[in-house]
This record gives sequence, C-alpha cells and structure tokens, in this order.
Amino acid sequence: MNVRSQISMVFHLDKCIGCHTCSIACKNIWTDRKGTEYMWWNNVETKPGTGFPTKWEDQEKYRGGWELKEGNLRLKSTSKAKTVTNIFHNPSMPSMDDYYEPWTYKYDELFNAPEGPDQPTARPISMVTGEYINVEAGPNWDDDLGGSPVYAESDPNLKGLTEDQRQQLFAIERLVFFYFPRICNHCLNPSCVAACPSGALYKRGEDGIVLIDQKRCRGWRACVAACPYKKTFYNWSTGKSEKCVLCYPRLETGQAPACFHSCVGRIRYLGVLLYDADRIEEVAKLRDEQLIDGHRSLVLNPHDPAVIAAARANGIHDSVIESAQASPVYKFVKEWKLALPPHIEFRTMPMLYYVPPMSPVMANRGDDTVSSVSGEFFHDIEDSRVPLQFMANLFGAGHQGKVVYALKKQKAVRTYRRAKTVGDIPMETAEKMLREADCSIEQAEAVYNLTSLCTFEDRFVIPPMHREEAIEMMRDPAEHKTAVGFGFMEPPKRGL
Amino acid sequence: MPQHLIERSNVFPKNKLLAGMIVFLLVPPMQLVAQDPATDYRQNCMSCHTIGGGRLTGPDLKDVTKRKDGTWLAKFLVDPKAVIDSGDPYARQLVEESRGVIMPTLPGMTPQRAQSLLDLIDAESKLEKSQFQGVKLSERPFTPEDIVVGQRLFVGTAKLKNGGPACNSCHNVHGLSGFGGGGLAPDLTTVMERYGGRKTLSTWLTAPATPTMQSVFKPHPLDPEEVLPLVAYFQSTLQRNPEDPSTARLNFVLVGLAGALLVLALFDLIWNNRLKSVRRALVREKRLEAVHE
Repeated sequence: MNVRSQISMVFHLDKCIGCHTCSIACKNIWTDRKGTEYMWWNNVETKPGTGFPTKWEDQEKYRGGWELKEGNLRLKSTSKAKTVTNIFHNPSMPSMDDYYEPWTYKYDELFNAPEGPDQPTARPISMVTGEYINVEAGPNWDDDLGGSPVYAESDPNLKGLTEDQRQQLFAIERLVFFYFPRICNHCLNPSCVAACPSGALYKRGEDGIVLIDQKRCRGWRACVAACPYKKTFYNWSTGKSEKCVLCYPRLETGQAPACFHSCVGRIRYLGVLLYDADRIEEVAKLRDEQLIDGHRSLVLNPHDPAVIAAARANGIHDSVIESAQASPVYKFVKEWKLALPPHIEFRTMPMLYYVPPMSPVMANRGDDTVSSVSGEFFHDIEDSRVPLQFMANLFGAGHQGKVVYALKKQKAVRTYRRAKTVGDIPMETAEKMLREADCSIEQAEAVYNLTSLCTFEDRFVIPPMHREEAIEMMRDPAEHKTAVGFGFMEPPKRGL
Repeated sequence: MPQHLIERSNVFPKNKLLAGMIVFLLVPPMQLVAQDPATDYRQNCMSCHTIGGGRLTGPDLKDVTKRKDGTWLAKFLVDPKAVIDSGDPYARQLVEESRGVIMPTLPGMTPQRAQSLLDLIDAESKLEKSQFQGVKLSERPFTPEDIVVGQRLFVGTAKLKNGGPACNSCHNVHGLSGFGGGGLAPDLTTVMERYGGRKTLSTWLTAPATPTMQSVFKPHPLDPEEVLPLVAYFQSTLQRNPEDPSTARLNFVLVGLAGALLVLALFDLIWNNRLKSVRRALVREKRLEAVHE
C-alpha cells in the first residue's frame, strides 16, 4: 500500500444554478492576461450541449485520454514514436475556433462617431488580431439550450438514446437541461502529464495538484491534445501551456479556491482523499463497467489504522490524515456513493466527482391546473426527464447502475425529509424508500445536512499544506524563510 | 564618411594588408608552377598546343616567335581575353581559327613566366623533334563497346582509375536518363565538334588546362585508357541536339511544382485523420440538414 494524499472535489449538480460566478471568479484571478483571453479554466456547460471546446467529449475527434490496447494503457493522441513524427504538427490539436475567438468591442466608436441620424455602435473586434470580427461562437454559445438544433442535439452523450428519447428530450414543454461546471480534474492518471515531451507537467506529491512548469514548458501542446477534458490551454502570447492550478496559492494559505469560494449555489466541496498509488495502473486497466468500483476502491478509509500507519510511513502529516477523516469528499464518494467521476472511461481517474442531478418533476398543465405526471411525490427515477442513459454516458461509462443508485438515494433522502418536516408523505413510505436505496436514517440525515445546511467549514476541509516539509527536502526551512522573499517576478516567455 | 576623411584615415593601409594576405595565400602554389618552364608547358599548354605536331585546339607553336613579336606574345599569354577583347585583329583571327575557343587565362601568369615559356618554345622550335610534338594516342577506330564504356565513365557507374570525379557531376549531355547531368559546367553534347575533332579533344583530356578542370583533374588525371572511350562517347553524342536551356529550365520548374504538389498530397493522405474543424463543421453540417428538411 502506497498511501498518498489528494485534494479532491465534489460538485453537487442538483444545486448548480448555472450562474457562472465561478467562471468569472477564476477569469478575474487567473486568465485576464494577454494570450489567455480564450481560456476558461472553470466553465459551466449546459447539458445537453456540446460544451467548451465544442464536442470536447468526442474522443473520436479530439483523441484525448487513454485506451486499452492489448492489455496496456496507451495514450490516444500520442506515443513515443508519434511524439517525434508529430512534434511540429500535432494532428489532434483543436483550433482556436473550436474554443472560440475572444473578442471585445471598439468602444471608441461610441464616443468618436460623427453626428448623424443613427445611433453609433461599438463593433466587435478580435482580442487576438485586433481586427473586426463576426462573432460566430463564444464559450457559452449554447447556454440554456441556445441553438439547440445545432449544439444540444450534437451532445456526444446522446449516444445510445432511442429516437423517441431524443425527440422527447427536445420536445416543447418537455425539454430539460442541467448545468455541468468543469475545472481540471487533477486526475490520478493524468494523460496530459504522460504526453508532455518536455516533462513540464507534474502532479504535486503532497496534494496531487497537476501543474505545468512554466520554465520547462516548450509549447509543444501535447498536453492540450492528450487531456480528454480539454482543460490544458495554450497561451499564444507566452508560447506556454497553462491550466487550472486549483488556486494552490490560496490553498496554501488555508483558503478555498476562488471558484469554490464564490459558488453561489454552494455546490462545491473540497477535501483530502487518501488513495493507494500502487493500484492506479491496475484499476485504470479495468473494463468500463468495473471502472467506477475500481476507482472507488483506490480511495482508502482514513479511519483504518492500517491506512493511517501506511500514510505516516509515507510521510503524510497527522494533520493531513485528520483532514482526510473530516473530508466531505470522502463521505460523498466512498461512504454514500453519491458522487461519480465524469467520463471515467477516459481512464485518467479524475479526482473531481459529481453528484448527478435530479431531473425536474414532469408536469402537465390542464385548463387551470398543473398536475404532476407521476403518482408519487417525485417522479420515478427510471422515468427521469433526462434519460438515464444520458446520465450514464456522462457519469457511468455508459452503465446506468451507479447513476440510478445515486439518484434513488437522493430521492429517498428528499422523501424522508419531506415526511419529517412537512408530513404529507407517510414516514413508512419514506423509510421503505430509504431501505430500498441502501440508506440508513443516520446517513439520510448526514446527506441532508451536508447538502442543505452545510457551512463553509463543512464544505471546504483544507488540510495544512506543510510547505515547510516540501522545502525541507531542499534546505532548512528556517534558513529558507529568512533567505527567500517572493523571488524575482518573472513572467513566462517564449523559448528556453 | 566624406571623401577627404577616407584618404586621410588608415583605411587604405588596412586594405593593403588584406590584399597582401590574399596574395600571400595565393602566390606560393603559382611560384611552384613557375619553377620549371617545361613542367609548366606540360601542365598548362600541351593540352591545346604542340610544337611541330600540327594544330590541336590551339595553333602549332613551332616558330611562333618568328610569326609574331615577343612583346605581343608575352602580353597575350598573360591575359588572352583582354587582348582579344581589345579588338586586336591577329587575336581575333586566332579565335576564329580555333572555332571560338578562347585561350584560358592561366592563374598566376606573370610577364616573367610568359617570357620563360616563350624562351622554351623558341628553344624547342629549333630542335628536329621537340619533346612537345604531341601526346602519343591510340589511333584505333572506335568500337560500340568503347561508347558503352565511355558512357559508364561519364555517368560514374564505372569509376575513374585515378579517383577523379565522374563527368556528370558537373556536365550534362543531352539525352542522359534519370536526373541528367550537372548544370555547373558546359553541356558536352557537341564538345567534340567545338574542340575540333578526336585528336584535339583526346589531347586536351589528357591534361585539361582550364582553371576549373585543372584544379579538379591535376591531382587525379584521366588515364589514356579512359580518354579513348570518353572521346568515343562524345563522338556518339554529336548527333544529339543540345537541350534548349529555356525548355530545360521550364521542365525543371514544372517537375519541381509537380513534386511539391505530390508531397503535399502525400502529407494530406498520411495525416488525413487529423483533427479538422469541429465547431465550424458541425454548424455547417446542421445548417445543411436544416435546408434539406
């Protein structure tokens, strides 16, 4: 057992209201520089929809992530030989148009326009070339099902849905969508790190944050092609690639990352998971339907004395182990099995989990009344407005079992709380539903508390980062403290 | 910099120094050449001139000092092209007699060296049988095998005995297969005609005297066994028409263009599976679908 610690995340999609506050918080802190205008380290997508960049989930096109070939894990986008042959032209590289060309408006024209019969207008100009452009796409072009016939209907997760299901999904008065906020998953088996020809990407030992060394990056962009979630971006101004850093400077000072901190719906949870690094490869090679269980089995119980002993032996500080014991992520992922990794079939072992959203209840409007279609208080999970296969494609590698389990448990907890607080549902019905959903009353209360009444401290259990331990490997921390300031602020530059 | 400043500045000595260095670098081999007039003649003159052996590319030099005065001859020897270009009637007549072949300017030729050569020619002219009467060459008629061997020597499939480079590294002959010969040096299709026949060309090839050929072939002279097939080959090429340089250039450009297109098409084929536009293609496709409905 090789115990390591990883700062992991849960996004509770049932609570996301799609306000994009997270995206703006991130943009203002990290990507408001030249060359990063088009990057959204955090973005919120409407599902069904094609996302950012367009159809990023379609690995037939983008060739991100890993695949099993003769029992071995292979990168889809590159290999040792292909690194050489494709180094100057990577055939799996998205173009800027697949993201979108960032633009602003020529506001001068509002003030300098000569007097005339028409209102002056500020025409859009590209933030890359400075030329006038026709805006054809944006990072959220299909927000709230905008342009559905083009975008939503091309969602790769619609694969395997019957024609009926598809038509119902987009039928008037029946159409449905939910939000899917995305940041870097800080994967256990990151394909971006594996693909880098310069060795510039690395996964931080102490907390598992995946970073790009701006001094070693040579801008080959192999990581851009290799990441199946398309969460590494190329900065055309500095000639280096960049990605979400999980606001590690904030984490190191005990603050939640900006997107977590600013989340209006309080959908985001952050905490430490202890995992067994020896088993990553074995688990990443499992068959699709085994992947979620395998991925879960990597996460170790931080209360288990054997795990604690192994963690200590690996140099993990007691305070980090304590933090892992209080981790909300551990509860969602391992204890309650409510949170699921996105597209585990890409085999990068993402460490950002999602609680799948309950669909809104289907209702019919009569002459003057609105009536629920379902006989029960909530709809049947099997009869969700978002087809289960769609959810399964997103969160279950195409298999519905784990998704249904998570949704049924959520429904049971809701029903139980309804029975308890409102009382219009008999408690026996609720308790029966809980039993069927593999959920005890204590667990239901705990789920309810962490979902609905969670405080800042409940949601973000940030471990002490112990920078002194990392520094200790190089030099005496006391000496480091007196000898080192912020260093020279050195912006990344092209070349060596 | 204004003119008067240049004259006063030390720019001039610097240039002198540079020129001195160049002379220093060039002069020693020439002085070696000039040491013995007989060797000098053998290396530089014999390929075109005999003394008492009849004309080759250039005239027979027997009693040349009696035909023209020594001053003129010395001047001509130092820089033949200058004398010809000056419009001297005798020089022009010489060029006409040698079918337009202009005597090459020998590098490092000085009036002193020219005089010692003339003295040598004078002395040799008085002899009954000069040592420079002409190279002994086989007179046997060419056979078809000679032509085949000559072509192999020309294109380099057979190596030259003394290690000289194959002719087609610099020269071309019309009708060569493959990529043809080099374009650095003159086309040799009709060289036999230009040089005035078998004897002249054979003699010339034994010790090629132009500066370029000399620098290449002096260390690796052609073997007399190789000269004969080569001349046979050049005789066989006489019937061919030398290529028109303008069509040759056009062909070169066209072949180049076609090659470039072929390579581009090949790239497209190899990387056909590359990621092309996703979003734009998607929008286009969906719009087309909508139009068809």
